[in-house]
Amino acid sequence: MAFDLTVNGTRHTVDADPQTPLLWVIRDQIGLTGTKFSCGIGQCGACTLHVDGRAVRSCSVPAASAIGKPVMTIEGLSRDGTHPIQVAWKEFDTPQCGYCQSGMIMSTLALLRARPTPTDADIDAQITNACRCSTYHRIRQAIHRAAALMKGQR
Amino acid sequence: MSGIDRREFLATVAAAQGAFVLGFWLPSRAEAQTVSTTAWYEEPSIREVNAWIVIAPDDTVTIRIAQTELGQGVWTSNAMMIAEELQCDWGKVRPQYASANRDAREKAPDWTLNVPGSGAQDPKGGGVPTFGNRDRVGVAGIPDSLYRRMRTNAASSVKDGRYYLQLAGAEARERLLLAAAAMWNVPSSQLTAKNSVITHPASGRKTTYGAIAQRAAETPHPHPETITIKSPDQWTLMGTEQKNLDVPSKITGQAIYGIDVRLPGMKWAAVKTCPVYGGDVKRYDFEAIRHMPGVRSSVQFPIPDPALTRGRIFSGGVAVIADTWYQAKTAIDKMPIEWNIPPVNAAFTSANMRESLIAALDRPGTVRAAQGDVDAAFRSATRIVEATYSTPFLPRARMEPGNATVLVGSDRVDIWIGDQSPQETRFSAAQITGIPETNVHLHLCHLGGGFGRNGNGPQAEHAIMIANANRGTPIHMLWTREEDFIGTTYRAMGVAHLKAALDADGWPIAMDVRTAMQEGGFGPEASFHVTSRYFVPNYRYSNHTTNFHVPVGTRRGVGQAAHEFYRESFIDELARAAGKDPYLYRRELLARTSLPYKQDMITALDMAAKMSGWGTPLPKGTARAIALEERGAEGEGMATISAMVHTVSISRDGKVTLERVDVAHETGFGLVNPLSVKKQLEGQITWFYNDAMHQACTIKDGRIVENNFHAFPLSRINEDPPVINIRFFPTKHWLLGMGHDRATSVQSAIGDAIFQITGKRYRDLPYGKQDLRWT
Repeated sequence: MAFDLTVNGTRHTVDADPQTPLLWVIRDQIGLTGTKFSCGIGQCGACTLHVDGRAVRSCSVPAASAIGKPVMTIEGLSRDGTHPIQVAWKEFDTPQCGYCQSGMIMSTLALLRARPTPTDADIDAQITNACRCSTYHRIRQAIHRAAALMKGQR
Repeated sequence: MSGIDRREFLATVAAAQGAFVLGFWLPSRAEAQTVSTTAWYEEPSIREVNAWIVIAPDDTVTIRIAQTELGQGVWTSNAMMIAEELQCDWGKVRPQYASANRDAREKAPDWTLNVPGSGAQDPKGGGVPTFGNRDRVGVAGIPDSLYRRMRTNAASSVKDGRYYLQLAGAEARERLLLAAAAMWNVPSSQLTAKNSVITHPASGRKTTYGAIAQRAAETPHPHPETITIKSPDQWTLMGTEQKNLDVPSKITGQAIYGIDVRLPGMKWAAVKTCPVYGGDVKRYDFEAIRHMPGVRSSVQFPIPDPALTRGRIFSGGVAVIADTWYQAKTAIDKMPIEWNIPPVNAAFTSANMRESLIAALDRPGTVRAAQGDVDAAFRSATRIVEATYSTPFLPRARMEPGNATVLVGSDRVDIWIGDQSPQETRFSAAQITGIPETNVHLHLCHLGGGFGRNGNGPQAEHAIMIANANRGTPIHMLWTREEDFIGTTYRAMGVAHLKAALDADGWPIAMDVRTAMQEGGFGPEASFHVTSRYFVPNYRYSNHTTNFHVPVGTRRGVGQAAHEFYRESFIDELARAAGKDPYLYRRELLARTSLPYKQDMITALDMAAKMSGWGTPLPKGTARAIALEERGAEGEGMATISAMVHTVSISRDGKVTLERVDVAHETGFGLVNPLSVKKQLEGQITWFYNDAMHQACTIKDGRIVENNFHAFPLSRINEDPPVINIRFFPTKHWLLGMGHDRATSVQSAIGDAIFQITGKRYRDLPYGKQDLRWT
């Protein structure tokens, strides 16, 4: 069955079972591979993207749930790495293997929209993505830095 | 497969900085049937200077990396070792994976074959790389093929590769100078090279690497064996903190991992393998799912040949091939499959395996150290302390599930994969398909976590077997997370019994250490062999084995991660029994030894203790614990030494928090990229915290029980210690590496902190299963 999804501002017509998890439609039909598969059960957050401005674990929601709503993936943040979160991530050289980082950055975006000046407790409560390399120490610093950059406090 | 045309895929991943390119060459069906004359990695318009270095007219330096970037920073550190000697503009360096196919066809240059210098303690030399004859099943040995060691394992990329990567940079630099000297008709000794510019100071003439590179490519060095490498006092790039060149691509979603490979006409495979190792498919009913959307075909495959999987016996299985992976996975989930399960394997449980290991401790083992008269000393002891510890089976659980994309033609195999042992994968492809290794092309991708080479399991072998049954069609095989838990190798479950005789002052006069893990487990002797790290005049160490069915391998830290938990926990127990400070107790016992690096170990302890404020008061419910971490300290070869103090709090309801970690780490003669070392240390702290508190895989009916992240918990950011202080100190030997066995101390330290705060001593990991409440 064909249906439309708007991803990063571009409308795509996809031919898939609308109950297919959004992750697989994004990766295999639309061809955006920055969003990752890891657990398939909504535990780890590697597949985090935004639907209608909210962070969603895309391995565990049907594509149909995103019909008519704007979807944003890591590729929509900025292609050249100039979004403040990406700038902060580079400043702390945050990624190691990097596999979880797309999801981590998309979760951070949702956090900073809800809490522009997050406390460490906010970060602990809201950033529930898993990083097997345990880059958390730099992620925390980078989140605080990104918050400052997003407010123009350089 | 008419959909596949002859073309080159160049997935260009160009970021503002640190751009890199992955070249994906795909043969047409017709071409796949003949040996291609043009290799995918060659850039016909630009000749390489040597096998590691291509310099373009615009001064871009492409550096070929023969290890896999999996988060340890090798994409950057390997490039730094070459660029240091090349003396090129670091801002114009572009890493690219080296060709494992070319490695099958070309020998290493003679000038890379001899290690300069006189071993581990010679700052001008190449240290002690692990050379040996090529051995496909062992971890030791570097082949004499073009890129030597293409493995990414054992924290060895710097240790083994440094000298020949430095030589590769130096050889190219010397040829650039020779080419410029010939052009200007002056002696090359009058020229200087810096930042990709060659200058003749006497005449003021200048040229750039980009301008001279093609002449250099045609200028062999007359005496490459005379080329030397820089010692650390001459380094200008190595030893400085450099941001990792792969980071820009990893924050924009553009980095290419194996799972991201897409080819025209590609089909997807989902697999199910027998959940009991050694089991196989009895029957399956493809007809029941044939009608499902996108489903194409099925392939049954046997237990991968143990000769291809380093002796490990995994499981047989079946694959369903479909247009998309989710279609394949949905279909295989509904496909009836019956297994042939060896009853003896199905009888294993964690409980009976533990009993077997405990029993093995009392059977004769392999004696790894026997000094003095242990039995006599025990008879004269004032006090005897003994303890039994255990550690569970642990997988690596890297974030990227196992996958590979394979296209088998009639006389050529192409494999797209993130792989820690491409030379072995090349061999597997040749064995499975009958196509020679020289016609196997690996297109290496970044890997979404490593944590142990063998832990990649038979991902490549599964995909090759499936693609071999579908020649002409590119097959992308992807494991589910649950399959990844079957397909990985595990760090062996282990037990240890440690027994010490103390004198009237509480110092050990004898120690009898026995450890047990399953046959084939890695590092069965680690941390205790040759001699005791802590002085004891009468010392006996034996390791013991038993046979289980779980494929065990080189999970991060290998045997050492468990054995340092046993050793350092027991030293804490002895110090407590002696009524002595655990830091000063360790310090005195190290001082009494004649170990070559004892002063380095003492320095590490002293520095970590001082950094932590050791001995200053802490709030109730908070405690500090210290431990030594070493690899190689039993001798005078290469070694890596560190010490950490962990400050741990426990709430009355039993919640453990790692509050602060103080790290004292040696640099050896020099660290290549101290920034990557810091990142590795930070990561390993929370890795081993996770091990210590939460992680365990148990066995029931021969199966791994915890097979996804709902049951196998991963520490999140809320468990990362708020404070990590890292300080380095210089030492006079080359390092063994530090990518996998640092921060093992978290395990014993939390145990001792639990004891200090709650009065309870737990010896079985993980602690999270224990009652940690106190009043």
